Amino acid sequence: MQMKKFLNDPKDVVRELLEGYVLAFPDKVKLSGAGTVVRVAPKASGKVRLVTIGGSGHEPGLSGFVGKGMLDVSVAGEIFAAPGAPKCVDALRDACKEGSSALLIVLNHAGDVLSANIAMEIVQRERLPVKMVLTEEDISGPVGDRRGLVGCVAVYKVAGAAAELGASLDECAEVAQRMANNMRTLAVAVRTATHPATGHPIFELGDDEMEIGMGQHGEAGTGRMKLKSADETAEIMLEKLLEDLDAKESDELLVLLNGAGSTTLMELFLIFRRVAQLLQIKKIKLVRSAIGEFITTQEQAGFQMMIARMDAELIRLWDEPADAPFLARP
Amino acid sequence: MNMKGCVSRTELGRMFAEATQLIRSQNEILSQLDSQCGDGDHGTTMMRVMEVLEGAIGSSSNERNLSETLRQAGWTVMNVDGGASSALLGSFIAGMGNTELGDEIDCAALAKSLETGLQSVQKQTKARPGDKTMMDALVPAVEAFGKAAASGKSISEAMNDAAVAAETGAASTSYLVARHGRAKYLGEKTLGCPDAGATSMALLFRGFSVALAAVKES
Repeated sequence: MQMKKFLNDPKDVVRELLEGYVLAFPDKVKLSGAGTVVRVAPKASGKVRLVTIGGSGHEPGLSGFVGKGMLDVSVAGEIFAAPGAPKCVDALRDACKEGSSALLIVLNHAGDVLSANIAMEIVQRERLPVKMVLTEEDISGPVGDRRGLVGCVAVYKVAGAAAELGASLDECAEVAQRMANNMRTLAVAVRTATHPATGHPIFELGDDEMEIGMGQHGEAGTGRMKLKSADETAEIMLEKLLEDLDAKESDELLVLLNGAGSTTLMELFLIFRRVAQLLQIKKIKLVRSAIGEFITTQEQAGFQMMIARMDAELIRLWDEPADAPFLARP
Repeated sequence: MNMKGCVSRTELGRMFAEATQLIRSQNEILSQLDSQCGDGDHGTTMMRVMEVLEGAIGSSSNERNLSETLRQAGWTVMNVDGGASSALLGSFIAGMGNTELGDEIDCAALAKSLETGLQSVQKQTKARPGDKTMMDALVPAVEAFGKAAASGKSISEAMNDAAVAAETGAASTSYLVARHGRAKYLGEKTLGCPDAGATSMALLFRGFSVALAAVKES
């Protein structure tokens, strides 16, 4: 299959996309050095700053969530590749200026964790007030070895709100970890994407197939099967998630559906409809929801379903105002 | 220069120049190997990483000792944004600088330097030989060099032993199922093709060996 994307020189993709992104939202975000996106209006000094790192090619993730009430800094890597440790160190040092401290939120992927660990070692040696929280909520892997998927957005949201309200570094880290511990995500893919630099499909999938458990970069999942209806797919995925979370009657859940890049909102609404019906039948409360494209994988078709058990504080923080280019609420 | 040969700044530069040359000539093959188990960009990533490394060592000034030069070069490599490849290779090179090195590195000092390089990588990854990663080439290469150095071989013989061990290790990854990194999700499908990271590590040591073959023993 011939790649059909609007590109210039593929090796410039990341630089150009970040330049375009900050030009599109000049009142909210700007570049600080190559590949690092920061808020135009920095948070008041002394407050905890949220930093995240991750590969590009997943837009609007992760830099799309830099803004008031969410992230302060996003360090972007090359396409599907983690940013280098030195850039992460620079970002953390900057974040800790003026008496602030930093919370580093990292999605569990080999390269990101490597860079994050190297960076943490260095900033801790410098005695900078930095803590790290790892998101690892993809239930297609065994506990202790799970990838971080779209759940990071919920972590940015609640920890970002706490930081904005003046919570300490320990408190922000605790809220982030609590959100991370209580969320579960499962992905499904129905059509592959092409890698913008190589032009090659990132995985192969039969025309009539779908794969449950697919990772963010086309890493193979666990359940390849014939394509199912929206209702059936919603049922299969929600069952697995509820079981893994050990959700019980009257639990309060956040449900987030994240389109992979070319699955339509129409399809996501069909899926969401069935999820809501099933939760009602099970007497589990659907207290908050989000639907759209948060972290994509190029033109891959499929979606991630994330559920999270919420408590009163997490709900309150979820409802706090936010003003990032790709997640805003009054 | 002593009996067993020494590596000065010039030879160190030559080692990285030869390794870069080899990896450049094989970059398409590395990408092909990677596309069977990963996202197919290992060759281009390694080429970028090696060119940065070659530049950092080649242009290093005498004001820095060789330990500092290696530490600085490793740090520069980590900034390439090549994901795990650049982070791990950068850790290895920077770790080599954790051994105190003078202006001339003899066989024993190079053995020690490779050892501290390996330790620094091992601190960053849980991958061990058998997991179908670069460690399948790196670990036996460092061990082989150490053994050769201890048995009194020359620096060029020791590096040849290291290169052979890395190549054998890399070739063995064909028979392994990936248990680490992104490729592990492919499981059995990774059987039959060697790991791209182990292959480029073998090329690195072969490049070192080609460069050191020219180190004359007096």
